[in-house]
Order: sequence, then C-alpha cells, then structure tokens
Amino acid sequence: MAKAKRVKGEWKRMTVQAAAFLLQNPKLHHFFLGTIEQGETKAVCVPGLNCYSCPAAIGACPIGSLQNTMSKSYKKPAVPFYVLGFLILLGLTLGRWICGWLCPFGWVQDLIYKIPFFKKIRTFPFERYLRYLKYAVLAVLVIGLPLYSAFKGVLVPYFCKYLCPSGTLLGAIPLAAGSAQVRAQLGAYFWWKMGVLISLLLLSLLISRPFCRYLCPLGAIYGMFNRIALVHLDYAPNVCVDCGKCETVCPMGIDPKKQFNSAECIRCGRCSRACPTESLQVRFGFAKKDGTR
Amino acid sequence: MKRGVRIGIFTVLAIAGTAFLLFGIFSGQAESVLKKAIRICMECIGIG
Ligand code: SF4
Ligand code: SF4
Repeated sequence: MAKAKRVKGEWKRMTVQAAAFLLQNPKLHHFFLGTIEQGETKAVCVPGLNCYSCPAAIGACPIGSLQNTMSKSYKKPAVPFYVLGFLILLGLTLGRWICGWLCPFGWVQDLIYKIPFFKKIRTFPFERYLRYLKYAVLAVLVIGLPLYSAFKGVLVPYFCKYLCPSGTLLGAIPLAAGSAQVRAQLGAYFWWKMGVLISLLLLSLLISRPFCRYLCPLGAIYGMFNRIALVHLDYAPNVCVDCGKCETVCPMGIDPKKQFNSAECIRCGRCSRACPTESLQVRFGFAKKDGTR
Repeated sequence: MKRGVRIGIFTVLAIAGTAFLLFGIFSGQAESVLKKAIRICMECIGIG
C-alpha cells in the first residue's frame, strides 16, 4: 500500500492549518442559513485563497479582490493599490509560508494526499514545465482578461469565474446546500467549476498539492518573495550527510538542499523535521546562522 | 543573495507596499473590497 511519507511533528502544522481555517471562517452559523457574513472586517484581505463567498468568511480573498478593484467605474480601469499593498507586505514577511501553514485550499489538498491506497507520484518527466502554468494563470486570468474587460465596460473576474476551486468548495457547495434560491440558479458555469474542483481533488490523491504546484496565482505571487521574505529556509552544507531524506518528504517535489530559495518552497518545514543533522531550518528574520546558505 | 542587498530590496518593497496600502485606503478601494465581499459573488459560485 502506498502511503504519503510520515514526518515527526506534522500534527503541529495540521493544527495550525485547522486553526487558520477557523480564524478566517469563524461565522459557522451562516452555513445553516444559506447566507454569507456581511461584517466590516470583510474590507481586509486574508492571506490564503479563501473565497469571500464562503458563508463563514470574515475577510476578503486577495485574488478575488485584486481582480475586482481593477475597475473604478464604467470603462475606467484602475490600479488595485490596496490589494497590491496587502500582497507585497504579506509576501515580504511570510512568503509562501502562508501556503504551507495558513491557506485553506492548501490544507484540503494536504488532507486528501494523506489518504493511503493510491500510489503517490513525487514528480514526472517535464513536470517542472507545468509549474510555469501558474504564472500564465496570474498573467492571463487574474490580470490580463479582467483588465481588458474593465476597458470594455464591465469587469469580469475570469479566475473566479472559470478556475478558482476555493470558490466552488467554500462558496458554491455550502451556499447551494443551504439555499434553494441559489440551487435554482446553478448552470453550466457551476458544473464546469465542479469538474475543475473534482479533478484537482482526485489528483491530490496521487500528487501532493497539484493546484499549488501548477495553477495557483496567489502561490505564484508569494513565491516571488521567497528569496527576500523574513521567513526563509536555511541550509548548512557543512553538516549535511547527503542522506536524501529531505527530498523524499517535500510536498512540493523539490530538492531542499539545492532549492531552499525556490519560489516553489512553501516553508512547511517537513524537510527540516526529517533531517537527521538539522542541516535545514525554517527561520524568521534577516540573520543567517554561521555556515548556512 | 548578499544580506545587505536582501535588506535593501526588502526595505524598498516594504515602503512601496505600505504606500500602496495607504493610497488604496484613501482612494476608496477598501470600501470597494468590502462591497464586493459582503455580497454573494456570482462568478465565484458559478452562477454569473
Ligand atoms: S499555492 Fe495557492 S492554494 Fe496553494 S497554498 Fe498557496 S495560496 Fe493556497
Ligand atoms: S523544501 Fe522543505 S520547507 Fe520547502 S516545501 Fe519542501 S519540505 Fe517544505
């Protein structure tokens, strides 16, 4: 039976992921009412890909908000300064640590990957080229097409409309379950997005975090900050015994010894916990320990 | 990347990020985010 590789202390990260989900979505009673939370806190962006149409959400999704603030009024596009400010500050402090510890959709994929019985695939030929897709999603679905639609008159958030699995999982499904009015309006777009979501969840049984690796525009943005973010991964080659354990446990399928600065690293710390010599450490701040890279 | 360069880039981006955020708030974008976030997003749930 194929299993995801176990690493000691993983329960701590799982607990933080569960707590982060509840902190971002605490108004659980809306799930039973078929309504969504409408408090003032929804002017603030949350760090992860957490749909604002999730009934219990108390914050705004940064990718949805980025698209929707690209237009001031009819045929008047705008620079989304407010959301960009959020993304820059979050990226600078935490980088993709957000993906490893705070994002609800990342957590869901982690949970599904833990299900045994399916042969786990770490990587496959040409896989690394697929990883560039998320930059195309960011450039085309999040920036290019919404901006074009804003010039034309009515802004369309293409990423939300055609791809976002967080909107389907956290927004569409609970709202459809709780409201007959919503159910009555579901059509082709909903079934398309259900197809996307189900494909990604099935893929998560075999590959760790397929959405994060290949498609997520928010991961693409945070990844650009990984090299300078305060949360970083230190590697000490002088104590490394080259056992390769770190590589076998990495959920993003990278080699932590060579790619500790990579935009793909979600700072989950699994490599660090698997390392017998403490060569790899997730740290906070500018300082690097002596002998580390 | 050298530590000094990293701190330099970090500082420039931190200033830019803060300025963007404040400018966004003063130009009413926080309100736009709120307005969108408190209504059910038709595109997100596959209706619109
Ligand atoms: S890559 Fe996207 S979906 Fe994955 S954890 Fe990061 S923000 Fe969440
Ligand atoms: S390199 Fe280490 S910290 Fe980064 S994603 Fe892989 S296991 Fe997690």
